[in-house]
Formats: sequence, C-alpha cells, structure tokens
Amino acid sequence: MPLPTARPDDPAAVLHSSPPPRAGAPTVLKIVIAGGFGAGKTTAVGAVSEITPLSTEEYLTEASADVDSLAGIEAKVTTTVAFDFGRLSLPDAPMPLELFLFGTPGEDRFVDLWYDLSRGAVGAVVLVDTRRLESSFTPVSFFEDIGLPFVVAVNQFDGAHRYHPEQVRAALELPAAVPVVTCDARDTNHVAGVLLALVDHAVNSVATINRAGHAPSTTFQDA
Amino acid sequence: MSTYGRAAEESAFVRTYTVTRGRTKPRHLLALETVLEAGQGRPGPAQAEECEEILALCRERRRSVVELAGRLGRPVTAVKILVSDLLDADALVVPLTHPYADTGAGSGPSVQLLAAVTAGLKRKWPDAVAYCQAG
Repeated sequence: MPLPTARPDDPAAVLHSSPPPRAGAPTVLKIVIAGGFGAGKTTAVGAVSEITPLSTEEYLTEASADVDSLAGIEAKVTTTVAFDFGRLSLPDAPMPLELFLFGTPGEDRFVDLWYDLSRGAVGAVVLVDTRRLESSFTPVSFFEDIGLPFVVAVNQFDGAHRYHPEQVRAALELPAAVPVVTCDARDTNHVAGVLLALVDHAVNSVATINRAGHAPSTTFQDA
Repeated sequence: MSTYGRAAEESAFVRTYTVTRGRTKPRHLLALETVLEAGQGRPGPAQAEECEEILALCRERRRSVVELAGRLGRPVTAVKILVSDLLDADALVVPLTHPYADTGAGSGPSVQLLAAVTAGLKRKWPDAVAYCQAG
C-alpha cells in the first residue's frame, strides 16, 4: 500500500496522514449587531454571512427581586433570550480570519448577553430604524458605558422618511467621534461597508487610547 | 407573561435539562465563540443523542459553541454541558488558534489584527461602499 492508513495507536502514522500542517484554526473575531425589533438585524447578518443566520437561544438566570430569602432557597427567574448568529471567513486576509456576527435585540433585558458578546469583540453596529429611534437608546448607552467602539447604521427602509445622518446623531446624542452611516441592510456591499467603517473606527479608538496612555514624545511613533 | 406562557417556558426548560441529565453548569470554561473540532476519542455509552449530532457537525468542519446551539435548537448552556462531556472523552478538541490571536485578556483586538480584517474585507468585497473619509 503506497499510502498507509492512519492508526490511532501509531502517532507517527497519524502525523504523516494528517492534512497539510495547519497553522492553527482561523482567528475568530466578534462583531455585535444590535437594534430594535424589526430594525433589520437578521437581514444585515444574512447579507454578509456564509450561513443562513441561525437563531440561538440562551437562558438568563437572575435572582428574583421580590422574594424573601428563607431557608437559603434561592429564588431565581429564568428567561429565554434569542439572538442571531452568522459567520464569514476572510480567506485573503494576511492571516486566516473568521468573523462571527451576533444580531441581538436592543432591549435592556439582553444586557447580560451583551457583556458576553462584547468581550474581546471588534465592536458593535447599532442598526437604527428611524421610525423607532427610541429602541436604539439602550444599546447606544451600553456600548458607550463599556467603551466598546460602535458605529450607528441607519437602515433606509423603502418609503420611510430619509433623515440626514446628522439629524440621527443629534437625536441619539452621539459624540462626534461615533460614525453615523446610512445603509440598505439587504445589500451585501452596504453591510460590508458598514463593517469596514466599524473596523476603521475601532482602529482609531485603539490609537486614541494608546495616545492617551503614552508620553508626548512617543505620540507620533506609530503614525 | 401569561400563566400559560410561563408554564410553556418552564416545560421547555425542564426538557432541556433532561438532555443534560439535570446538570445546569458546564465543567469547562467555554465561550460562545469557542471553536471545536472532532478528536480521536469516542464518547461513552448512554450519551444524549445530541452528542452524536454535535460530533457529526464537527467532523464536517470546525464549529463554534454558538453555531452548535443554533443548529441543534438547544440553549447555549445545554450545549456547553454536552460539549464538556465530549471534551473529557477527547471526542472533541479545542484547536490551537493562530498565534496572532493574542489580544490580551479583556481588551479588544490589536491594531495589526484590525488591519488584517480591513484587508480581508476589502479583498472579499472590492465593491463595498466606502463610508470612511480618511480619518
């Protein structure tokens, strides 16, 4: 036999028959897409994802506020939260990369989930439907509070009034540094552009933090 | 929530933890984005049938905890518990990631990593809308 089959009890055989040496699994980076009900989160995830967005459930357990703590019995309330998941690979990046996209509703009962999603993430896209602007307030203040870079993307629905991005910025009281863009969440090139805007903004945020933490003489070193 | 809705939710909750044989906490520290691949080991007998599904999915390609939960239609915590069993049996392994992944605990990705994402996105979608005016 020219090609011996791998036997688990023979480490050498396993090594030789393994696929070409792998540099390791692709590096995974997370991006959060938050928005109110119907703002187009699933559509946006689906526009760039290589898989049909998966609806995923998680239980959140919280201590119930209005219960006497008798005999050490912990009364807890369990609620179910659902979010969307999509992924895409970037095969032509300088290193193997995969982006994980998490579409999550903008209600404050999702805050525990947002902490999980935001840990180590590139940043977040807050997807806005101008007809329900108020549903963007909670995610905007959450990402501001935890210092996660985010961009606001106004999803332009057919027939809806088109507001200027600056009007949206004023209504959401966003700092000048937060990019506000308009997009069609169904359009792959639009959503890809929003992701690029987010990554760009994340780079600027890192640079700002670095500058703030360095002595003035080193300020321009990595310009 | 209505009494019926509450009861339905509790019933789903009970069914889920039948799958995990009553356990509510995974033994391994797994994140939503933890990626898994099939290993050399075999799961022990009397495993939930979901374990076979997980293994079949991970034999096709690497899958993350969140993707497995979505495909199985089970809550993330339940899937983490089953994945922990499979990790203990070496039926699943957590592959080594590219050394570049070193971003430091608690902080976001490095500027180099972000630059690689930008390059990758631009090559994948050369016609992506350019929203950023320098700076």
